[in-house]
Amino acid sequence: MRNGARAVKWGVPIVAVAVVAGVAVAGPVIAAVQGDPSLPERTAQELLADAARTWQSGTVRPMSGTIVETASLGLPSLPNMGGGASPFSLLAGSHQAKVWYGGPERMRLMLPGEMSESDLVVNGDQVWWWDSAANTATRVKGGPAAGRPDASPFPSAITPQQAAEEALKAAGGNTRITVGKDATVAGRAAYEVVLTPTDGGSLIKDVRLAIDGETFIPLRVQVYAKGTAEPAFEVGFDTVTFSPPAPENFTFTPPPGAKVEEAAVPSFTRLPHGKDEHEADAPRVVGEGWDRVLVASVPKGFGQDPAGTTGKTTGETTAETTGKEKSWRDSADGAASLADGLLKSATPVSGEWGSGRLIRTKLVTVLLTDDGRLVAGAVTPEVLYAAAGQK
Amino acid sequence: MATERAGAVPDRGPGRLRAAARLLGAEAALTFRRPRHLAMLGVLAVVPILIGVAVRLVAGDGVTESIVAQVAGNGLVLTFAAFFVMLPLILPLAVSVVAGDAVAGEASQGTLRYLLTAPAGRGRLLALKYANVLLFCLAACTLVAVSALVAGLVLFPSGPVTLLSGTTVPFAEGLLRAGVAVLYASAGMAALGALALLFSTLTENPIGAISATVVLVVVSEVLVAIPQLSALRPFLLTSWWNAFDGVLRAPMDTGRMGTGLLVFAGYIVISGSLAWARFTSRDVTS
Repeated sequence: MRNGARAVKWGVPIVAVAVVAGVAVAGPVIAAVQGDPSLPERTAQELLADAARTWQSGTVRPMSGTIVETASLGLPSLPNMGGGASPFSLLAGSHQAKVWYGGPERMRLMLPGEMSESDLVVNGDQVWWWDSAANTATRVKGGPAAGRPDASPFPSAITPQQAAEEALKAAGGNTRITVGKDATVAGRAAYEVVLTPTDGGSLIKDVRLAIDGETFIPLRVQVYAKGTAEPAFEVGFDTVTFSPPAPENFTFTPPPGAKVEEAAVPSFTRLPHGKDEHEADAPRVVGEGWDRVLVASVPKGFGQDPAGTTGKTTGETTAETTGKEKSWRDSADGAASLADGLLKSATPVSGEWGSGRLIRTKLVTVLLTDDGRLVAGAVTPEVLYAAAGQK
Repeated sequence: MATERAGAVPDRGPGRLRAAARLLGAEAALTFRRPRHLAMLGVLAVVPILIGVAVRLVAGDGVTESIVAQVAGNGLVLTFAAFFVMLPLILPLAVSVVAGDAVAGEASQGTLRYLLTAPAGRGRLLALKYANVLLFCLAACTLVAVSALVAGLVLFPSGPVTLLSGTTVPFAEGLLRAGVAVLYASAGMAALGALALLFSTLTENPIGAISATVVLVVVSEVLVAIPQLSALRPFLLTSWWNAFDGVLRAPMDTGRMGTGLLVFAGYIVISGSLAWARFTSRDVTS
């Protein structure tokens, strides 16, 4: 009888464990029980048109939410990239950001770090970048429109809208567009548009765009590399609320004691397309559709000199970083450790186009030629060799 | 000492709550009078002052960055800086010593069986012990905050507080946010205290329970730092302690702190029920 009482007593913690585990996994289980949402049938064209209309007409509803970005590109691990402030840390692992969107000219993006925070606040023509770790407020000149990455072959955009826009722009005529199974993203029923490259040279298996069934706002973008079951890159909402955010999110005044700087939008966001129309060392894009590759000249000190990787340094680069502002030093450190890690994993290659070192990840291949060029794209090495061949 | 507590037998009825309060008072008096606990609280009070003095000494050299720079600009920020420094190890150490000792200490001194002769019941004794741990967690975190606040106001200027988001809030709101941070940190420590209390019921050697808790803290700090094991992070207690920095954001990051509190509650429920099952069913021989 006493043993029986003991067994009953030990039943209590077992129930407690079950309850806690139940609460912990309740969300996914409920979603699984509910099954896939069923939205009215729509063709891919209709969906894309609806989505395009929504963001072209600027009638995106005000909203706020949490975005989770996950990159598993197969990069060498980057141990020195603690904190959420450096843009380079987004290349590996999972990161969270919060976004408040009050209209086309009012938005705030927040990257939380441990006891630090970076904020991008856009309010009309006022664009501020706040970095609490460096205690620096940077006023970005050029307005929000100039900050849009244009024709970049990389998934460089951060919000789902921008990423979806990029993917659609990149698609061109070399893409098969289908509608996949409806998905649930951030608790909302969403259509899934699957973009499959038909170019043989692409490393991308497909790009899946989850578009909200009600508002036609892209809620998630997943990029699958060939031969992998998990997305190599994913950015999507974890939670989303469609209500106007509090106005104080869009006002930023540099706090007393903070350094205030001014900066122009980095010029690499606007890349000329084509070749030889510009000076030889300007970055340019070669190829069409998914096989597009970026060709750029490598600063001489790449791999040895942290300053050389961030600044647009041409000619002789000295290893002096003392003149650099502190706010950029973190980025430079991130870039340097990224470059070091990448160069360690590079394999020497050569061919008719010359010789160089090749860095392969699941999604992106980078070729550093010995004559100082960088060729990169989401393509197989052969496409890069071809691009490197046409000088 | 034990007989003094055992003498306060709680009656059924309206006097029960008062009796429980009296028992808790006696228990807390024991905890806060014990010399080693006082020494530990002393260390907790001194560390924020040391941080403040160190910041004050280097403040002129222009090497100030991040949260440290803000401490030099506003004394209230020292409270948050102190939690940032002390939450990973120093505060957990103090809580482990008190909670790990709670049951195993009585067992090792041979006083546990006398305690159990009182008709209060083992479950209630365990609840009393845990209430005492909660009291200590709150006291330790408050002590850190008050010591940091006093040191900060003496060493540095005060005024409106700049949050991590770059927003500036009045001093009073800064104080309020510091209060929320104290409560959150206490909840995090209470979860660890429940774990330590569980270990305390498993052994008759208090040092074993204390070191098991501390080892667990250190191991999970290491696990949190390994990027390849990031999938484990949401389940580890230590990865949620620093979420108190949510009070320094605008708007306050209640989402992450709320999840943190749920994780703490999960730890408390599981550890508490295991401790109860173990303590009420084991044979007490010493």
